[in-house]
Amino acid sequence: MDFLTDSVRAALVLILALDPDIASAALTSLQVAACSILLAAIPAIPVGLAVGLLDFPGRRAAVLALNSLMAVPTVLVGLLVYMVISRRGPLGGLDLLFTPSAIVLGGILLAGPIVATLVMNAAEGADRRIIPTAMTLGAGPLRAGLKFAAEIRLGIVAALVAGFGRVLSEVGVAMMLGGNIRGYTRTMTTAIALETGKGEFGTGVGLGLILMTIALLVNILFNLVLQRSRP
Amino acid sequence: MTALYALEGIRKSRGPVFSLAIPALELMEGGIHALSGANGSGKSTLLSLLAFLDRPTEGRLRFAGETVSWNTRSLARLRRQVTLLHQSPWLFRGSVFENVAWGLALRGVNGGTRRTRVFEALEAVGLSGFEKRDAQSLSGGEAQRTAMARAIALEPRVLLLDEPYSGVDRAAVETAESLIASMPARGTTVLLTTHDTAQLARPGGNIIRLAEGKVVSAKGAPSCAVV
Repeated sequence: MDFLTDSVRAALVLILALDPDIASAALTSLQVAACSILLAAIPAIPVGLAVGLLDFPGRRAAVLALNSLMAVPTVLVGLLVYMVISRRGPLGGLDLLFTPSAIVLGGILLAGPIVATLVMNAAEGADRRIIPTAMTLGAGPLRAGLKFAAEIRLGIVAALVAGFGRVLSEVGVAMMLGGNIRGYTRTMTTAIALETGKGEFGTGVGLGLILMTIALLVNILFNLVLQRSRP
Repeated sequence: MTALYALEGIRKSRGPVFSLAIPALELMEGGIHALSGANGSGKSTLLSLLAFLDRPTEGRLRFAGETVSWNTRSLARLRRQVTLLHQSPWLFRGSVFENVAWGLALRGVNGGTRRTRVFEALEAVGLSGFEKRDAQSLSGGEAQRTAMARAIALEPRVLLLDEPYSGVDRAAVETAESLIASMPARGTTVLLTTHDTAQLARPGGNIIRLAEGKVVSAKGAPSCAVV
């Protein structure tokens, strides 16, 4: 019991003292998660809408692929991206390995299928009258699609929150592609893994508390958006 | 005189079954046309074709002399002349004003004119003062009337109404009837569906009867005729 309380006490001391290592890891985590989700959303939202709304040859295969990609282990994503961006890989010349950009790249591949699948589910569950209504009021396919996206915006926001949470909480990609370099690519999760391995449970618990607080704040924010959007 | 709509060999299938089969039908511009038939007779399918929301499996559709090519650009232009009011209309998230103004904004109608037309349309359907109400909180009848306001605010060349009197109370039916009756004078041709034979006589005009996807009679030539 002392071990637990001592760890929590040490964690609180580190947080309140604004320990620079903890602050740096927290900031890096937030930056890579935010960049990953923003960049993943650009292809993932249209793909999710298209698969959810359109009937085309190979649609079932696309649905299966999206569902399967959601469950890909993070270390496998890390390994694949590592092979592509390492010196001997096709993008080796870009010197991306062990940079925050590499973690973002992996984060995009992790979050993309989640966002696309959840947007697809939201689109499939949406009212079928939205698109014909927009079209009969004079919208072309693009404007009708944008109106549809606006109508299911809560589902899209939920998908983005889920994708953000996935990138924020993963460790495999950040470890393999970022290299856990102190003050540069060290994220909260890689720092927790490192500190726990060293026996520094106070720092690990401190980072865990921050991680949970961020997740909580994101969900509170989402619920506020949800409440404001409801009549 | 060129027909507003001319259907030639139109067939629409849903899976292996034809849900609509119309060898020839012309609809002239002006007036109020009624499309009657039992549930499943193909009324809504025909309206979707006439609103250019759905394309026929076979056949040719002409609108004001132009053969509909079903490509994206021409469809967008044609759809701005025809508005379909669904039997159970969808109102977008947002206020009643935003709903009624949406189609006008798409057409580039400027703010002042847009506002005037929204208020006029809401007054015409008896919903003055509803502008700020949340569209999702309206009753079924109010939603139906808001959708009607949204349609008439566009001043379309053709207004297609799918069961416009369903879900509205008797007083609202009278308002809707007088509103529909006034549309031809504003340059709008109206085609409405109903399975209520009592409603057919009231708006007056031409009646097309559908049964099992086929036109069984069309009265009121020359504005409507089975060729």
